[in-house]
Amino acid sequence: MGGNKKKVKTFFLYVLAFVVLFIMVFPYLYMVLSSLAPWDEVDKRIFPTELSLRSYEWLFGGGENILPRPWLRAFFNSLFVTFTSTVLMMATAILVGYSITKLRFKGSKFINNVILFQMFYPAVILLIPLFLIIRSLGMYDTYWAMILPKAVSLWAIFMYTNYFRSIPNEVIEAAKIDGAGQLKIITKIIIPMSKSITTIIFLFLFMERWVELLWDMLVVKDENMLTLNVLLAQMFGPYGGYPGPMYAASVLLTLPILILFILFSKNFKKGMDFVLK
Amino acid sequence: MNKRNEKLGWLFASPYLIYTLIFFLFPLLWAAYLAFTNWNTIAPEYDFVGLENFFNAFSSETVKAAFFVTYKFMLMFVPIVIIGSLFLAFLIHSLPKFKGLFSVGFFLPYLASGVASAIVVNGVLSYNSPFNEQLRSIGLDVDWLGSPILAPLIIALMMAWKFVGYYALLFLSGLESIPKEIYEAAEIDGAVGWKRFWHVTIPMLYPSFYTVTILAVGLMFGIFTEPYVLTGGGPEYATHTWQLEIYNQAFEKLNAGYGTAVAIINSIVTFLSIYIFKKVLEKWGAKHGWE
Repeated sequence: MGGNKKKVKTFFLYVLAFVVLFIMVFPYLYMVLSSLAPWDEVDKRIFPTELSLRSYEWLFGGGENILPRPWLRAFFNSLFVTFTSTVLMMATAILVGYSITKLRFKGSKFINNVILFQMFYPAVILLIPLFLIIRSLGMYDTYWAMILPKAVSLWAIFMYTNYFRSIPNEVIEAAKIDGAGQLKIITKIIIPMSKSITTIIFLFLFMERWVELLWDMLVVKDENMLTLNVLLAQMFGPYGGYPGPMYAASVLLTLPILILFILFSKNFKKGMDFVLK
Repeated sequence: MNKRNEKLGWLFASPYLIYTLIFFLFPLLWAAYLAFTNWNTIAPEYDFVGLENFFNAFSSETVKAAFFVTYKFMLMFVPIVIIGSLFLAFLIHSLPKFKGLFSVGFFLPYLASGVASAIVVNGVLSYNSPFNEQLRSIGLDVDWLGSPILAPLIIALMMAWKFVGYYALLFLSGLESIPKEIYEAAEIDGAVGWKRFWHVTIPMLYPSFYTVTILAVGLMFGIFTEPYVLTGGGPEYATHTWQLEIYNQAFEKLNAGYGTAVAIINSIVTFLSIYIFKKVLEKWGAKHGWE
């Protein structure tokens, strides 16, 4: 009797979990279905009567004839800027984290304190002067403007520093006796040992860089340099008459992150446990 | 050996240090200077105006709007996101299997771009959307994004949708770290069901509760994308956030000096608000014997 009651309860919990999951994913579902709907059905019904690729054709064909927009170029810009920034953020974080925890040189404590101070410093104050610096360095409208100021992540340094502390020094000493140099220790020992945390840090950095709107909007004006997120935001008003392609562009904007997330989901829970600690 | 480490240490840290010099220290000093000038970002000449920018900001209607809008957002977002994420955490926790699958699923909204979710929300809720036509056909005429009460609520709900799965994972890790012995001891003392929930689980979750609240409060001071795309700060400045105010002043109206002053005020308000929240939470926790 008691076992049956428990079974009913468990069944009920799963129904509830699926209902919540459906609510959470519904906007994504709506986005995909609307991007595949014939144009006269977009925003008219949730499930289109037939599937059509017209929105994607429109998008990949450059959009409107009178005022074509480089949608594919924007997608490429997003990928290039995000990927480069993320890799740089990872590299600097690993190097700094390693030098603070494992080289423990005279200045390491000082550097660690500076990082902590910076982390609690409100970034919004820097926005305007940063823009002015980029402009006076002649980087306005270049990839540099979007990449360089976002080449260091304090959060990533902080995470790696904490994580590397948990790696015993003996591992490194042993490698040194085997004649490995510091760079080799980092690439062959430290990085493989931090797989799950690296996964999460990469995913978070990539995601945050990918959806950045304000900064990318400020430093780039040339149409061919815009990221997808910015182009989409700018076209939101004037392209009000093209809801289908807007959904298709939204799908394009969501896809790379989803793919990364699915690729990494195996390490997700383990890495998250560390990040949330 | 140690000399080598010394050199290598500085070498490894050098990209970060150069970055900090150019993109942190220098702009920080510049900001401290800019806030006292009336520079318009274009003209070569400008004046040192002392505290004028700050006085202007204090009497500005749009700054006042940003100040109150943030707390309005907080009042809606914080309770919704805390109750929602607590609920999700308990739900995941009580599932015997597929915990990982559901936690990943609930986390998905966190990955969405604010621009993309604004497009969906606009598609469903804009005044002439089919959904609203349907509502009008049964006599309900709602202008969701045009109402000064509903528009902030919609943005708060969008933010809650995005963050609820993330915060749920924080609560979940709190739940998972509660030792079984405590539940057993509570059972002996007669604490079961709701009693156990209120007197054992909730107090033990206090650290997660604290973290989530502080994160959620801090988040409300930095909203930009959603109102920028969806409402542009309107209607009647009902969704006009600090970031929108700073953006408008510095980059639309080209008041770099004034915009920087507003940014500084924003940081002070943010810092003080979070500080007060922290103190209140700590006091509340201490009063109940939580830590």
